[in-house]
Amino acid sequence: MKISFEKINALWRGQDDFRVRLLNCGIDLKAVCLDTMCDDAKVSDFVLQPLAYVNDVLSIEDVERRLAVGTGVRKPPNLYSAIEDFTNGYTLIFDGEDNCLSVDTRTVVGRSIAEPPTSMVMRGPREGFVEDIKVNLTLLRKRLKTPNLKVVNLTVGKYTNTAVAVCYIEGITQQRIVEDAVQTLESVKVDGVLDSSYLARYLDVNKTWLFRRVGSTEKPDIAVGKMLEGRIAIVVDGSPMVLTLPYLFVEDMQSPGDYYENSSMTTLSRTLRFISVIASVLLPALYVCLQVYNYQIIPLRFLITVLNASEAIPFSPLTEMILVLIVFDILREANLRMPSAVGISLSLVGAIVLGDAAVQAGLLGAPAVMIGALSGIGLFTMPDNTLILSLLRLAVTFIGGVMGLMGVIISTMAIVVYLASMQDYKTPFLAPFAPDIPEDRQDSVKQVPVPRMKRRPKSIPNENSQRRG
Amino acid sequence: MDKNRVSVDQLSLMYLLLLMGGKFLSLPSILASDVGHDSWLAMAFSFMWDGVCLCMLLWAIKINRNAKMDIGAILDKSVSKPVAKVIFVIFFVIFVLRTNILLASTYKMFSVTFDVSTNWIVYLIPVGALAIFAIAKGFNAIARTAQLFFALVVISVIALLVSPLSEVKLTELLPVAEAGWGKVLWTSYFRSFWFSDYIFVYFVLDGIKIKKHVFAPMLTSFAVGALLAITLNAVFVAIFGHFAPDFDMAMSKIGVFSAASTTNGRWDWLTLSIWLVSVFLKMIVFIFCAYKCVEKIVGAHFVKVNWISISVVMLTLLLPLFVTAEDILNTVVKWGLIPFTLVQYVLPLLMPLFTKTAVFKSEATDVSPRKVSAVSAREAQHE
Repeated sequence: MKISFEKINALWRGQDDFRVRLLNCGIDLKAVCLDTMCDDAKVSDFVLQPLAYVNDVLSIEDVERRLAVGTGVRKPPNLYSAIEDFTNGYTLIFDGEDNCLSVDTRTVVGRSIAEPPTSMVMRGPREGFVEDIKVNLTLLRKRLKTPNLKVVNLTVGKYTNTAVAVCYIEGITQQRIVEDAVQTLESVKVDGVLDSSYLARYLDVNKTWLFRRVGSTEKPDIAVGKMLEGRIAIVVDGSPMVLTLPYLFVEDMQSPGDYYENSSMTTLSRTLRFISVIASVLLPALYVCLQVYNYQIIPLRFLITVLNASEAIPFSPLTEMILVLIVFDILREANLRMPSAVGISLSLVGAIVLGDAAVQAGLLGAPAVMIGALSGIGLFTMPDNTLILSLLRLAVTFIGGVMGLMGVIISTMAIVVYLASMQDYKTPFLAPFAPDIPEDRQDSVKQVPVPRMKRRPKSIPNENSQRRG
Repeated sequence: MDKNRVSVDQLSLMYLLLLMGGKFLSLPSILASDVGHDSWLAMAFSFMWDGVCLCMLLWAIKINRNAKMDIGAILDKSVSKPVAKVIFVIFFVIFVLRTNILLASTYKMFSVTFDVSTNWIVYLIPVGALAIFAIAKGFNAIARTAQLFFALVVISVIALLVSPLSEVKLTELLPVAEAGWGKVLWTSYFRSFWFSDYIFVYFVLDGIKIKKHVFAPMLTSFAVGALLAITLNAVFVAIFGHFAPDFDMAMSKIGVFSAASTTNGRWDWLTLSIWLVSVFLKMIVFIFCAYKCVEKIVGAHFVKVNWISISVVMLTLLLPLFVTAEDILNTVVKWGLIPFTLVQYVLPLLMPLFTKTAVFKSEATDVSPRKVSAVSAREAQHE
């Protein structure tokens, strides 16, 4: 559609923040902007002042040349583009023949760069992404001072017109992955994108219902690290979470601080995380089915202790354990939604009063509470998947309680088959373990020192496998 | 991604797991009842036959590496369609029977050892659901699952082997071939139904990704798997001596005399549970192969899970409701010994010849769709 002042005026007339300024500088010009989206100083410095003191302007092209003080000056190709610029805080300048020019006068509203609360580190950079896409791209550019850093800009959302930037390093990232991601994003038909997690659902090609298939990070150093391995980063305006693709299960075990610590310590931490996750999902189920069906497996003294502690409990071991797990999940949910000060009190009430009272009253056995708590704490070693793991834990416990060890084996196998079948963007989810890629084990559970990581992961398709040169 | 494509490495790891899965349930006691303490010898002979057939099958895989024809196409072109269908029917019966025997053995193990008694249908539902789920996800997912569990299963088998070593009396294995070589060889042939685990490879012939070697990884897996199976069988006989035929759940009984297990708990049962993963994997693979047999018999290619075919396979797993596992072994397997031997041990010997013929015929038929797909597969491989 052709751009015209009348159309813009008709769409926004009557809005309090809609500003129209008539100028005469040789020809009649109209400058329009949304007051709430524009920086007054920029409007004055980049638009009004340069035009106020001249009277020899001949055409809109002339204006474009004279407005050289502003860096973001462009001619929108169509009405949609002009509206998009306008709503983003650009000032539109029209001449009498409805030729249009948009000048970047966007205001920067948002919090300043700070350490992200979800990815605190002992060592390493403390900068975190913010909600502003420009700032986030600056944070990436600051770390990747190379012309090979490429950004594909898109707009997604019918009403929100959210700016989305697909960033990748040319020469490392496989072009096909970029094309696939851009194609997927372009095909998104949605009213609005309020956070990057909206797009994560679309980028998950196989629409998996368990486990997320798109990585996210709040830290620019992590995003850049992943881009250097051949992944792409997707920055969404209004979201401090930058998405990364392709995504591996093993990334869930990696913590932002891992690369700034000693590699042996990192290997130890990751091993503990790995064991914790497996134990969290399987421990309650094993406790129930060993107690109900296969108590012979439990060492005699331990068995006597467990039986003494759970002798007077009015529930079956399965019901008891399910109750413990559900109470734990309720407490966790309540804790997440409470202000931090109240949250601490809630934890105390949950852990000490509720747990202790239940044991004292003989409703729950101390071993079950202990196993439930241990399993619950273990879940937090993989914070991004806590909810999913909690769900799996409940399911495996139930099946184990009903079917014994056979149930635990079958449900574990089903989970593994499910995980093993997942493959997005030519990347197997369980790599480098299934399929086994020995070269990629250098940064999986084990981590070799950074100087020895000479090749990029094979599991992530890339155009240059050498890390240096 | 072709969800049924596997690499040779994945195939060999899976083969090793399949070799170990199911060999330590009722088979050791059955062999012991046939030839006494020479059962390990009978097992060794069976594996020797397996080894020869495996080599021939691997040769066929090498011939087929560029053509990437599936077993249906190879047999259709080499022995004609009707004969191919008969072969698939025999394969179907073998896979169904072997799955039934495995199911019956694990059912018994769970009820006797793990105190989980239920009826057959309730037992079959979760196993069947897992198998259908795995088939829907593809053979590649099954192979990756095997890869993931591989180390755990091997460690558990080694732990099961090592833990009762102090109770082993090697003198129980002497004199060697007391039952007579002829009887040992006959038992080895008569019980061949339990062996030839490589037959699952027939049904993934068109999806094997070959990078370098075919023989080395597969034969290594075979050697390790066979060695572990024979050793465990020998340990079982050496522990139980003349009573071996009476202990039909070999694996769960091996640790029974360990004094430590009384106070420290039956940790061997935990390792046993991990080993059971390989048994379930074996069942899944055999159900997958039976399903593929149905596909070949009806002459269709199912992109998604075909519920009629999978229901047919599942219905056949209700067999133990009407016939006991012992009856299956003593009647059906006995009657079917010759046709079973033909597809288990004669077909692999002829496979290189059949594959060569099929490849030749395929190349002779200019620009056939299969050739086009083979060429594109080759190009994709080069890329």
